[in-house]
Amino acid sequence: MNGKLTAELSLPLRRSHAGRQMLHNRAMMLGMSLLGIIVLLALFGPIIVPNDPLTVQMGDRLLSPSWQYPLGTDHLGRCIFTRLVIGAQLTLGISAIVIVTVIVLGVPLGLISGYIGGRFDSIIMRLVDGMGALPEFIFAIAFAGFLGPSLPNLIFAIVLVKWIGYARVVRSVALSEREKEYVLAAKVAGCSTWTILRRHLLPQMISPVVVLAALDIGKIIMIISMLSYLGLGAQPPTPEWGAMLNDGRPYFQSAPQLMIYPGLAIMAIVIACNLLGEGLREALDVRSR
Amino acid sequence: MPQIMDKETTHMEKAQQENAASPLVAVEAPVLEVSQLQIFTRQEKQQRPLVHGVSFVIPRGETLALVGESGSGKSVTASAVLGLMSGSLGISNGEIRFRGDNVLDWPNKKRRGLRGREIGFIFQNYQESFTPFITVGKQMNETLRSHEKLTRRQAKVHALEWLEQVGLPAERVYSSYPFQLSGGQLQRAAIAGAMMLQPSLLIADEPTTALDVLSGEKVLDVLASLQKRTGCAVLLISHDLRHVVKRASTIAVMKDGHIVELDTAEHILYHCHHEYTQQLLNARPYIT
Amino acid sequence: MQPLLRVERLYKTFRKSKEQVYALKEISLQIARGECLGVVGESGSGKSTLGKVILALERPDSGEVWLDDVPLLQLKGAALREQRQHVQVVFQDPNASLNSKMPIWRSIMEPLDNFPDVMPPFLSGKRTDRIGLAAQLLELVGLPLDHLARYPHELSGGQRQRVAIARGISLNPKLLVCDEPTSSLDVSVQAQILQLLKSLKQTLGMSYLFISHDIASVQYMSDRMIVMKDGEMIDEFASSELTHQDRHIYTKLLVEAAS
Repeated sequence: MNGKLTAELSLPLRRSHAGRQMLHNRAMMLGMSLLGIIVLLALFGPIIVPNDPLTVQMGDRLLSPSWQYPLGTDHLGRCIFTRLVIGAQLTLGISAIVIVTVIVLGVPLGLISGYIGGRFDSIIMRLVDGMGALPEFIFAIAFAGFLGPSLPNLIFAIVLVKWIGYARVVRSVALSEREKEYVLAAKVAGCSTWTILRRHLLPQMISPVVVLAALDIGKIIMIISMLSYLGLGAQPPTPEWGAMLNDGRPYFQSAPQLMIYPGLAIMAIVIACNLLGEGLREALDVRSR
Repeated sequence: MPQIMDKETTHMEKAQQENAASPLVAVEAPVLEVSQLQIFTRQEKQQRPLVHGVSFVIPRGETLALVGESGSGKSVTASAVLGLMSGSLGISNGEIRFRGDNVLDWPNKKRRGLRGREIGFIFQNYQESFTPFITVGKQMNETLRSHEKLTRRQAKVHALEWLEQVGLPAERVYSSYPFQLSGGQLQRAAIAGAMMLQPSLLIADEPTTALDVLSGEKVLDVLASLQKRTGCAVLLISHDLRHVVKRASTIAVMKDGHIVELDTAEHILYHCHHEYTQQLLNARPYIT
Repeated sequence: MQPLLRVERLYKTFRKSKEQVYALKEISLQIARGECLGVVGESGSGKSTLGKVILALERPDSGEVWLDDVPLLQLKGAALREQRQHVQVVFQDPNASLNSKMPIWRSIMEPLDNFPDVMPPFLSGKRTDRIGLAAQLLELVGLPLDHLARYPHELSGGQRQRVAIARGISLNPKLLVCDEPTSSLDVSVQAQILQLLKSLKQTLGMSYLFISHDIASVQYMSDRMIVMKDGEMIDEFASSELTHQDRHIYTKLLVEAAS
């Protein structure tokens, strides 16, 4: 009752909140369409691209856009458009693998850590604290550098950095849920710990994890591109966006399109993921933890 | 409140004078008169009625308890009186007369002037009555000084006086932060904070629901004694008929947006007619 | 005769800004077979902690709970789970105690699913007919059968509490702990839930531990009552003697406030 009255006291605030939500939903639609286009391009890329992404044509170096090369050619005469589209496959594929691995790893560990606690929880928490001391990106560079430059190592390094965040979110939800009456009731009903985790707690994790993942894809793509740019990820001649940026660097003055197009592509996908994630967060009413 | 404020008179004395003076006024409009109030809610362009023509009157110094369960419309009615209805609600018909004037005709700014000064309110959630990280005393002091020309020191004297009136260790509570007080203490401090402005009407929305039985009783005791002293009218909102029937002079039982029974507390208790009232009275066992 | 439940010298403390506060202080009590023991207290009196210790959901600092000569607090893992069928619970807020993502019938059947060998005498039919058993349980608590496939949010508060009660009795427990079972309900349905609990107790012959802040409800439900304050048991008496002269002063205050 009182909630109603006090909520009404803060009416102007709530109205702007509702307005923001609508905006967010419109933004979410934009993000979704953008991401959809990129995914479609990646899926049907091999059919639509006009050229081969790897064929070197030294005679066609650094050409301006034309019918044959929609976005021009790079310093080795390869079609930039083709390389971008094929690169999208690679970028999206790697991030999908990373996200799935990270969820499969982080969610169960977070659940066990939060619900059962004990020594296991202390170990997880120490890891979380330790990793929190420096930005993720620094750790990713360190791991990738230590493991040596290659795509599998890149994936491994990013997973190593990222699972912690998921474990932490899931752990905090589990911690707050485990004292709730439905969990206690399940315990009294004779459910084993495993059943409680699987049947009662896991479903509660879906929305926060989905939101976190949607917001994270952008970051993961950034890390992949940045590591590749630094030469720690995809190796030439693989058409990865970050690696393409790196390739274009010496020609930036004379042929900026070599860096502009991959840069725009990275920007577009990161923005799309963030819009989608923010929208989902609003829609699923998940508070940032 | 058209009256001459003597700077030497304390709040308490002023209240007593006013109270004593009241019988001399020949014909006085009731403090609150709600007639045929209809409230609706807008949902996707459709209008759905929530309150269907509710009428009641609260004279000076009396308590009317508006009793009903969740969804009965009692809180919406209270928020309409306060002028704090949410944007999706609207009043389609009826009048809310405050001391004779229909406040629904007033501009928003004028109605805002009523709140606090003329219409005080306390909520179920006592934690929301005070800002968390400012001492209770400072908040009371500022409220007082925003309504009356007082120095900081004068305001403190008044605030302490009112805290004492609600049976609290005044000095200690004055310098306490809200989280340092128990629920019952905070609610009593909230009553002091509302009553010190000497409103003509106090709206108490489920003031004891979040409290323990014994502290809830104390809160209602304090409310009753301050009401006696200041002569303010009280609109008491509650879901528990048994709890308020000994505290109010008149009871209005609400169900699904209608007042199903309106009578003196005594009649409600011993000769109620409506089946629903009966059901509410017998909702919990009696001690035998 | 041996009492069903014996609680012996329970202590539990917690820290509250450097001070040691007792949630339970030397609590000993017994519940006989078929008896309802009522526990009255305000918030912070330790009454809910007492319920949770008896349900083996919380560990006391010291003390023991015996159910028919089985020391409940010594049990762990599978042995404890096996023993849980004998002590079941109805919590305060059915909104929070039912999993919002499970249909009603699955919530009701969860205990029986966990104990495939238990067949309560008040149910009939095949043990494998889960829907049939759930339907009988729903009938026992006075809910229409079409509620089986619904979800908690589609039910009213009173109906949800009936579902929680159906789940609580489904294993035919020896003891049912009711922790403020009516406090979060609308006033007009509180009486119905109390009546339901009382009639179920008579037909099924269980013992109850009935915890509430509402002294009148506790008296109505129970044969014997205890009053708790700040973790201590300060009064104990037969429910019919609630208004006697020699009650503790605090009990008298509670009675006065409620009448």
